[in-house]
Amino acid sequence: MSAARPISVLISAMGGEGGGVMTDWIVAAAQKADLPVQGTSIPGVAQRTGATTYLVEIWPQTNAELGGRRPILAVHPEPAGVDVVIATELVEAARCCERGFVSPDRTLLIAATRRVYATVEKQAMGDGRFDPERAFRALREIPARTMLYDPDRLPPPARGASLNALSLGLLAGAGVLPIPHEAFRAAIRAGVAPETNLRGFEAGLALAAEGLPGPEPAAAPLPPRAELPEMLRHAAATLPADVLAVAEIALPRLVHYQSAAYARRYLERLGPVLAADPAPGGVHRLSAEVARQLALWMCYEDVVRVAQLKSSAARFAELRAEVRAKEGEPVAVTEFLKPGIGEAADLLPPFLGRPLRAWAERTGRIGRWHLALRVRSTSITGFLALFLLARLRRWRPFSARFAEEQAAIAAWLARILAAARRGDHDLALEIAACARLLKGYGDTYRRGREGFALVMQHAVDPARAAPAGDASAPGRVARAREAALADPEHKTLRATLASLAAPPPLARAAE
Amino acid sequence: MERSFAKEIALLRKGAGEVFEGEGILAIAKALLQSGVSYVTGYQGAPVSHLMDVFHDAKELLAELGVHYAPAANEAGAAAMLAASINYPVRGAAVWKSTVGTNVASDALSNLASAGVKGGVVMVVGEDYGEGASIIQERTHAFAMKSSMWLMDPRPDHEHLVPLIEKAFELSEASSTPVMAEVRIRACHMRGRFIAKDNVKPRYGTHAPIPEPDFDYSRICLPPATYTQEKDKIERRFPAARAFIREHRLNEVLDGDLNDVGIIVQGGHTNTVLRALARLGLADHFGATRVPVLVLNVTYPLVPEEITGFCAGKRAVLIVEEGNPDYLEQAIAATLREGDIQTRVIGKKVLPLAGEYTAEVVLTGLVRFLEGTMPRGVDVAQVARVLEEATAPGRKAKALIGATLPPRPPGFCTGCPERPVFAAMKIVQREVGQVHVAADIGCHSFATLPPFNMGNSILGYGLGLSSAQAVAPLFGEKRTITVMGDGGFWHNGLSSGVSAAVQNRTDGVMIVLDNNYSSATGQQAIPSTRNSRQDVPQRLPIEQALRAMGVRWIRTQGTYRVKDMVKTLREALTTKEKGLKVIVAAEECMLARQRREKPRYAAALKAGERVVRTRYGVDAATCTGDHSCIRLSGCPSLTIRDNPDPLRRDPVAYVNNDCVGCGLCGEVADAAQLCPSFYRADIVSNPTPRDLWWMRLRERVIGALQRWAERRNPAPAPMPAPAE
Repeated sequence: MSAARPISVLISAMGGEGGGVMTDWIVAAAQKADLPVQGTSIPGVAQRTGATTYLVEIWPQTNAELGGRRPILAVHPEPAGVDVVIATELVEAARCCERGFVSPDRTLLIAATRRVYATVEKQAMGDGRFDPERAFRALREIPARTMLYDPDRLPPPARGASLNALSLGLLAGAGVLPIPHEAFRAAIRAGVAPETNLRGFEAGLALAAEGLPGPEPAAAPLPPRAELPEMLRHAAATLPADVLAVAEIALPRLVHYQSAAYARRYLERLGPVLAADPAPGGVHRLSAEVARQLALWMCYEDVVRVAQLKSSAARFAELRAEVRAKEGEPVAVTEFLKPGIGEAADLLPPFLGRPLRAWAERTGRIGRWHLALRVRSTSITGFLALFLLARLRRWRPFSARFAEEQAAIAAWLARILAAARRGDHDLALEIAACARLLKGYGDTYRRGREGFALVMQHAVDPARAAPAGDASAPGRVARAREAALADPEHKTLRATLASLAAPPPLARAAE
Repeated sequence: MERSFAKEIALLRKGAGEVFEGEGILAIAKALLQSGVSYVTGYQGAPVSHLMDVFHDAKELLAELGVHYAPAANEAGAAAMLAASINYPVRGAAVWKSTVGTNVASDALSNLASAGVKGGVVMVVGEDYGEGASIIQERTHAFAMKSSMWLMDPRPDHEHLVPLIEKAFELSEASSTPVMAEVRIRACHMRGRFIAKDNVKPRYGTHAPIPEPDFDYSRICLPPATYTQEKDKIERRFPAARAFIREHRLNEVLDGDLNDVGIIVQGGHTNTVLRALARLGLADHFGATRVPVLVLNVTYPLVPEEITGFCAGKRAVLIVEEGNPDYLEQAIAATLREGDIQTRVIGKKVLPLAGEYTAEVVLTGLVRFLEGTMPRGVDVAQVARVLEEATAPGRKAKALIGATLPPRPPGFCTGCPERPVFAAMKIVQREVGQVHVAADIGCHSFATLPPFNMGNSILGYGLGLSSAQAVAPLFGEKRTITVMGDGGFWHNGLSSGVSAAVQNRTDGVMIVLDNNYSSATGQQAIPSTRNSRQDVPQRLPIEQALRAMGVRWIRTQGTYRVKDMVKTLREALTTKEKGLKVIVAAEECMLARQRREKPRYAAALKAGERVVRTRYGVDAATCTGDHSCIRLSGCPSLTIRDNPDPLRRDPVAYVNNDCVGCGLCGEVADAAQLCPSFYRADIVSNPTPRDLWWMRLRERVIGALQRWAERRNPAPAPMPAPAE
């Protein structure tokens, strides 16, 4: 029996990426080369953004050579029996390995290692992304040979080319198919968008010849930092290196957010934590985490901050790049702002803001009464509105929200310090990390604060009430914190807290 | 439909001796024309939609041949159209997705099969089973058995597929019985080639009318004719079919020297079995096998002589039969028992009862079979080693990855007009609490997946409203919501759902997603299609149909304004008015719209015209990484990326450049009061002098203010992240 066997090419693509088009190109090119070929696919509804695969099998002898004999070509990819796997995304490439198609003695893997996140990864309240290292482990070990690239790091013109055309160029360049390059070109010319796809194909071909670029290029040098007031510079200089690394980011931000005095307050708050931090091995884990969370908390997002960020020159420049506006193309930007009764109460002085908020919450108006504003921030009047709102920075320290946040920060720090001072450093660290629950705006923010309060009350405080040195206490707080990020309704959190201690009262549904 | 099928139509015109290179389902279309069909019908659905799309556009060719083509309102309608072949010597064909389509068709099919046919009838059923399938997993086989129709399962390559479809018409005529040709997803989408024959003009067709109607009571499905028909099936049609199958060698025997065992395979799995044998060194790649194989291109009826003839003298046969129940295995075992042949029948003992027969499944089953039967001349240890080597890399990869890879099921497209409806439902449920959602078939079924997780049951195409009618009263005052697409509405929803709801005065809400096409199946026209490439005027608006049915509370509403949709939904759920309340959520399918708009935009851009491109974005600086926007929108272009803030860890939301500017993310952020991070950017290409004048003025004023602010309170420059 003949030793010849079909060449099997498996294409893994996501809906809308043109995997079917690529299949057609390969089939057409093989047909042009007079090679027996068969392509199959299972698009189904996967064309709607789902992952799917396409299989092409090519017999390495021409029809003329075979003289009427017809090879049997497969309908399904074989386990460890595919010669080339082409993938356009990291996890999909790993999936091809996991499904067993990639073999260490046969398979060339051509894959883009960028991530396109799946919905389950995107929708997490914190960071639900799959650990890319796990995928890379398979990509490094399983295939016989790889051509891996990050499409965003390729030199032009390869960067920006459609991945199907680029992959076809890489495939042709890899030289594993007995199909001349000209047959591929002819196939592209007979298909969709021939000009751009030919450019992509040639770019891939060139890359295959020159070799794919190595790891990422060196980062561009950063612009000089804003000067810190002298006093802050002195105070900061006394911080240990690992805390200083955080403070160097935090201090200019706090100055910009509020004032130099506010930044000083940050350092004052950090002082006692540093003193209570045993810093095992010279590593200030607790202080660094508190420094990070404290900076974020002290720069809490209110309308003034949003206006400040949205009206900044840096943002305007970034935005133009982001939407790929060319030089000389006007860009009109519309902001979706919806200041409500809550935001108004936040800005008023405490003696007015607190009763207003209480009334709005009592009567259910808190999420209802608001002003839907569409601000054209690139127009002069729209910009002025943001600009003037940002000027309210000086007023901020007199607002109800400011008083509230500072009190909450103080309470949080007190809990951390109490734990740290009695030697429960891991517990202190976990309490510090709970500040990550506080984020977002409006409803999201209220929910975050509710979750934070629940964790403090039902996980942290019982731990503090118990005798010091309970090794399981930090784990319980960490579990509660993670549970608070499991679902927006806090169902998981309540269940977790109930399993830890007495159940808290049921709260309203959210989202 | 916004696509052109000119290339495909050219394929259907190929004449004798020309090479046809194209998709499997088109090869079948060509086979129909080569068989001289008079009429073709069907109902769209993967994997057979393409045939209908091409026939729909091939009016000229069909007119030349005298072939009548008309898509049916549903599969029952398609099956009923086959009645033309009951009385008249005309060949007809229908296509649909199976088993769901066959389910719908089965009322008409029972009658068709009982009456029997004069002209050949072939139903091409796209078997939507296994990976890529979108429906419940069942077998079509049972329909053939219960109605005494014949079932073909052709070998999946064009050179076998085309002649077998042609033979199917002859088999149908020889035995007066309709024939189903079961073609799996991969075979339908297969790219391959065959040598074409000329298309055949039917004797009767649009070019040549039938002279006289035929009346023959024996063709009527009423007693006493039905008794005669049942008898005729047994006494005449079955034997005639078996004789035809045997004489024309529709099933194939591939002989081999290891003849103490054998394999009986459904035609559709032949390639997989031959490849597995080749892997084990027991076959070459041209179909020469050492283990004898009986290929059943016709799986119903079986020809007992073929079975006994193949099995006689063998110790054991392996039955490769996908799905359950194991009809073939049972039938073969019974046949052998009757013939007193002692060959062991092994099928589902080594192959799974449920699930697709992939290469790995078949290879594993085959190895288990060889290990169990130890045929003379097979090195069983070697065979086991091949399997071990074939499966080891997959196991190793799994171990290396060591975690579940995130699944990537299909979902709503970027800019899909249906997504905002579910976002609105989510927002309204925050106020009124969770409600029972009766889902339906269509793209909108994806709402049952994250991030919406919406839909309590799916009962079939267009049956959502019917499925809610016993649920609704159980919830008392709290109303249920039925979500139905326009495809489902016309397929079955109007006739079975709306009519009963009106008659029974059912209190509830139905949302009809009117996106202008039967979109999930490939944007085919339906009665309410407003316009399409063919410029068909709208024939029957959904609202008009609902009014005619007696529905009083109807609101037609665009979908992208989430706030308005929320308001309408809230009203529908809380109004005092009893009865069925229908919201027609009308907005064109974005895939179709983009197919039309994109070239138009590109042409205008090239011509130097002023064009405005709209897209949305997220300010990374104000995004706190909570992702509630993603949970409410689910748009593929709304994704995440590393947080540029070195102090934050959670990724920020980000709109990538696939954004088509539908505005849902901004709308949702606004309607649900999520956050101020979204912005809309309108980018003007080829700006006019006036545009540029304004741009310069604005840049000057805004720039001056920004510089002033920067001087007073400089913004910190970006910093690298501190080490962990």
